[in-house]
Formats: sequence, C-alpha cells, structure tokens
Amino acid sequence: MVAALKHKPDVFTAISHPARRQMLDLLSVEDRAVNTIASHFKMSRPAVSQHLRILLDSGLVTEQRHGRERRYHLVPDRLGPVREWISHYERFWDDRLQRLQKVLSTRSKA
Amino acid sequence: MSKMIQREMHFAQPREQVWQAITESATLAEWMFPNDFEPRVGHHFTFQVPANPKVNFDGLTVHCEVLECDAPSQLVFSWSAGELVDTKVSFRLEPDGQGTKLLFEHAGFNITQAFGEQAFKGAEYGWARMLKQLGGVVGTRHTEITSQE
Repeated sequence: MVAALKHKPDVFTAISHPARRQMLDLLSVEDRAVNTIASHFKMSRPAVSQHLRILLDSGLVTEQRHGRERRYHLVPDRLGPVREWISHYERFWDDRLQRLQKVLSTRSKA
Repeated sequence: MSKMIQREMHFAQPREQVWQAITESATLAEWMFPNDFEPRVGHHFTFQVPANPKVNFDGLTVHCEVLECDAPSQLVFSWSAGELVDTKVSFRLEPDGQGTKLLFEHAGFNITQAFGEQAFKGAEYGWARMLKQLGGVVGTRHTEITSQE
C-alpha cells in the first residue's frame, strides 16, 4: 500500500519510495505502458497506478495515449532540485579544497 | 539512488606535508572548521560550523568518526550533519612527481534518507534552507579570502 501523503507530492517525496525510483529507472531506458511497468513489480496493479499517479503529480513523469494504451515518459529535467542538492556540497568542497591548497602553499613558502 | 562527489587535485607539496594539513587539528581548522580531530581510528570528533547572522545561519555541528587513518596515504571519516546521515569523506594521497595527487571523495548521499518523510519533519528549518545558508557562509568566506590577496 502507498502511505497517504501529508504533503503535495514534490520531486523529493516522489523519489522517496524505492518502487517509484525503480519506475523512474525503467522509464529512463524507454517510455513504457503501465502493463510493462507492472510486470516488474510484485504489487497489485492499483498500487502501481497509485505510485505512477504520484510520479505524474510531481511532474517527473508524463503520460501519452498511444491508441488504447497509455505510455509513461520520464522528464529528467524535473530532477533538477536533486542535482542542486548535491551541487551545494560540491561547491562546499571545492571551496574547502581550495583553502587547503592555499594553506599548504603559504606554509611551504614560510 | 546513492550519489557521491569526487575530486582530483594536485599539490606541489610532498605527501607528508599534505597529510599533516589534513590530520593536524589546528591546520585542519584553517581550511575546514574548528574541530577536535585526532588521527586515530575510532575517534569521534566534530566540526563546528560557526553561525553567521548576516545570512541568518545558526551554525551547525558535523559529527564524525575516524574510520581509516594510514599515514601518509589514506584518511577516511564518517560525516553526519543535517540531512546527511553516515556519509563518508575520504582523502587518498598518492605520490605525483615531487608533489602529491589527492583523490577526494564524499560518498553515500542517500536520497532516500535525505528526502524521505523524515526530512519533512520540522520543515521550518529544512535541509534546503540550511544548505542555502551554508552556501552563503561559504560564499562570504571565499570572498574574504580572495580579497586578502
């Protein structure tokens, strides 16, 4: 079962569940129909749909009609906030390592 | 979904000197933050990131434990602060001509831990705000250092 969400499903909430991350991995390879996605999981179809609904609401995934079936499509740009999270730390360490370099060059001159 | 940061850097100084700069508490404080680091496996220590009222940052304590310490080639410690739980910071030093090659890694950014339901508790003081402020602190300091030259 999908736990009731207390917050509107933003990107971080959307990727906080392992099944949804696995769905994103599947969709990163190619667009897939709900049946194909469901075949990778032991959970019920409604549960799969519920997870997909959260991904859709977060904007990480869009759906397109192809005849009778709907295909899901990953929108990788929506993962921007996640990359931003890491990039804060990247800037942090770049700054610290530069300071380390400075400390060392000051000392060897002394 | 675990991510890491990797950097490779060259230093003109020999390994022993770089090793000293990353393992001597006082020198470590010069380029990191005030700390009670000791170069021995199992030692628990903290970095005290000072408050900066200018950017409305309350300060932060980073909790660490020395996991590996082989002079002068390898230092690994755990890093827990804010939404980062048990991430791992490692410095590997290799001889590089007269100087040293540093292989830096901060690994174990676990998106599940960082952005699970837990992370939303106390949203008033969330990770994003904390990090933006920390970014502000780093930015300010960086400017200060550059302007000293």
